[in-house]
Amino acid sequence: MKRKSILSMALLLVVLFSAFPVNAQLVRLTYYYPVGVAGPLARVMNEYVEEFNALHPNIEVVPVYSGDYDPTMQKVQTAVRGGNPPDVFIVEISELPTLLAMNAIEPLDEFVTDEFLSDFFPAFLENGYSDGHIWGIPFQRSTPVFYWNKAHFEEAGLDPEKPPTTWDELREYAEKLTVRDPQTGEVIRWGVTISGGWNDWLFQCFVRQNGSKLIDYQERTAVFNSPEAVEALEFWVDLTQNLKVAPPHSTWASTPPDFVAGRTSMLYHSTGVLTFIMDSAQFDFGVGFLPGKVSYGAEVGGGNLFIGKGIPQERKEAAWKFIEFLTTPEMAARWSRDSGYVATRKSAYEVPEMVEYTNENPEYLVARDQLQYAAGKMMSPAFQRVREILKTALDEATAGRTTPKAALDQAQTQINRLLGQWLQQ
Amino acid sequence: MKSNTQQTPKFGPLEKAFRFIGVNRIHIHILLILVSGVTLAPYLWALSTSLKYRVNVFTETPQWIPNPVNLGNYKEVFRMAPFGLYLVNTIVVVVGILAIQILTMSTAAYAFSRLRFRGSEGLFFLFIVQMMLPVHATIVPNYLIVNKLGLLDSRLALMVPFWATGYGTFLLRQSFRQVPRDFEDAAMIDGCSGLRFLYSILLPMAKPTLVAFSLISIVTHWNDFFWPLVVTDSPAVRTLTMGLAMFVQQESGADWTLLMAATIFVTAPLMVLFLIYQRKFIESFMSAGIKG
Repeated sequence: MKRKSILSMALLLVVLFSAFPVNAQLVRLTYYYPVGVAGPLARVMNEYVEEFNALHPNIEVVPVYSGDYDPTMQKVQTAVRGGNPPDVFIVEISELPTLLAMNAIEPLDEFVTDEFLSDFFPAFLENGYSDGHIWGIPFQRSTPVFYWNKAHFEEAGLDPEKPPTTWDELREYAEKLTVRDPQTGEVIRWGVTISGGWNDWLFQCFVRQNGSKLIDYQERTAVFNSPEAVEALEFWVDLTQNLKVAPPHSTWASTPPDFVAGRTSMLYHSTGVLTFIMDSAQFDFGVGFLPGKVSYGAEVGGGNLFIGKGIPQERKEAAWKFIEFLTTPEMAARWSRDSGYVATRKSAYEVPEMVEYTNENPEYLVARDQLQYAAGKMMSPAFQRVREILKTALDEATAGRTTPKAALDQAQTQINRLLGQWLQQ
Repeated sequence: MKSNTQQTPKFGPLEKAFRFIGVNRIHIHILLILVSGVTLAPYLWALSTSLKYRVNVFTETPQWIPNPVNLGNYKEVFRMAPFGLYLVNTIVVVVGILAIQILTMSTAAYAFSRLRFRGSEGLFFLFIVQMMLPVHATIVPNYLIVNKLGLLDSRLALMVPFWATGYGTFLLRQSFRQVPRDFEDAAMIDGCSGLRFLYSILLPMAKPTLVAFSLISIVTHWNDFFWPLVVTDSPAVRTLTMGLAMFVQQESGADWTLLMAATIFVTAPLMVLFLIYQRKFIESFMSAGIKG
């Protein structure tokens, strides 16, 4: 008898629950994200996602850590080719033309408002646009800045609070800061290091500082051998070959440790390493704008948020809700503090916790203030190959194997051949 | 084995040649010590870095013995990703692949080396072609198949594409072919044929090949990064390399202490495995065939 009543109770419960399908419209989103800077960011990201899921009982975002930028892009590409695109993902900003060529992403025009966009720093938005549509929303964004070792400045009789602000000052300071072995003349400490690996990115900053640019994506022009670009490369060759105050070759990962170990006095690198340098350096250091020529200048970098092509409308809407959640001023400020990235929106710097944080660590404001002189990152179809061509030209010239003019002329010929069709349209 | 070592001549032909040009054992040992020093140094440096505090990693004079010692990196690594789970997954996947591979490749190699059937040449040619395809060319087709089978994001997805191996089949076929026909005839007369002949005579005789292939297979799939990256999403089924990737960063460069701690943890099981079995590995290469 008792057993029967339990059974009927259970039956009743089942009927009741199926009458109110609480979870019937649960929208599940797959979200691929890379981790580009050191730190427990995968865990931080999982926290954000959990908070979002708790706030939206009918949406479940499944976070998928997908390695670094390149592996993430490869995972996205495979999934798109396999007919199984992720709903939301973050990839490196210059991948936009490749994503468009693969037909991998949805335009976001229907979701964005002018009010929403106007709060983002314009330089960060640039890489989100193509063909008059917006495709990507800024999330984890960085830009190169200038680091200097204050102790070395004092040793060399320079004012430790005044970094070089022009190329000429940079050259002069680098000469004073370089330390050579008195017997062999071998360099023990470099005056300045313009980090390799992403030196194409840094070179674009130098071209900007000289008042020109290499590729205009919206206008579809590519000029690699302009007088301004040649002059910039001549300046690099001057530092590396003629004066020998900067190493001709280095890797992106090795130069921040070099700076921390005192093997170079000044460093060009991303804002992404600021936290690393703060934690590791046992000396006073400063963070400043990249020295200018005609003006200050920099290019932005990092990753944008995208929505996968062809997902159902309800998932698209849910995906946008998630993007909105990740980019509110409060979240942008929080992500900036958790990761060291530059917050993507102006109002993020007015959030009380952020005000307190930047008062304590004013170094983090340098990148934001430099943004007024910054522009979008170079991008084009076949971007990885464009990069290779440019990097080869830079390396050949700084190694002294060819003149800057000849190296960039050759790069221009190769770029014309590679991008011919795209440029003519 | 003991009687075997006593029978080996005091100097091998290689040593005789060395003696002829005036190189003796001491020279050779010095050379070997230098070479092993060069090979071991990066590993020891990684071990040392994994035990340091961040500020001691980049010092003007390299610091080989960490002072003070910091075990916190390992704790931190475990806090950042479920490495214990990753280890279990990796072992399951690597063993799961190897077990089925041995099954498929031994039967296939038996067919190609001992049986005559129509199209065997052509079929074998296809096996060889499979060996030459770069892995990246098959990623998307494999992904499509795994997706169709509904296996995405499972440990099975990590194993299925590797269950048949052209390379292993080729290696094993070659070593089966070196076993004289007489063995088969003798076995046949004693009433041992087909599969039984394969498992009780051919395979034991091909032990060196099996051991060599197993090593390659284990190391390949232990270190595989791209396929697990593409087909898995949830930590529950992911492998060690995915955990290791969390410590490599493009924009900022890595946090070396954590990266090295993770590297040591990921590579240590393979090192231990090799240290335990290295005698066995080498023995199996020495006692090739004859003793069965």
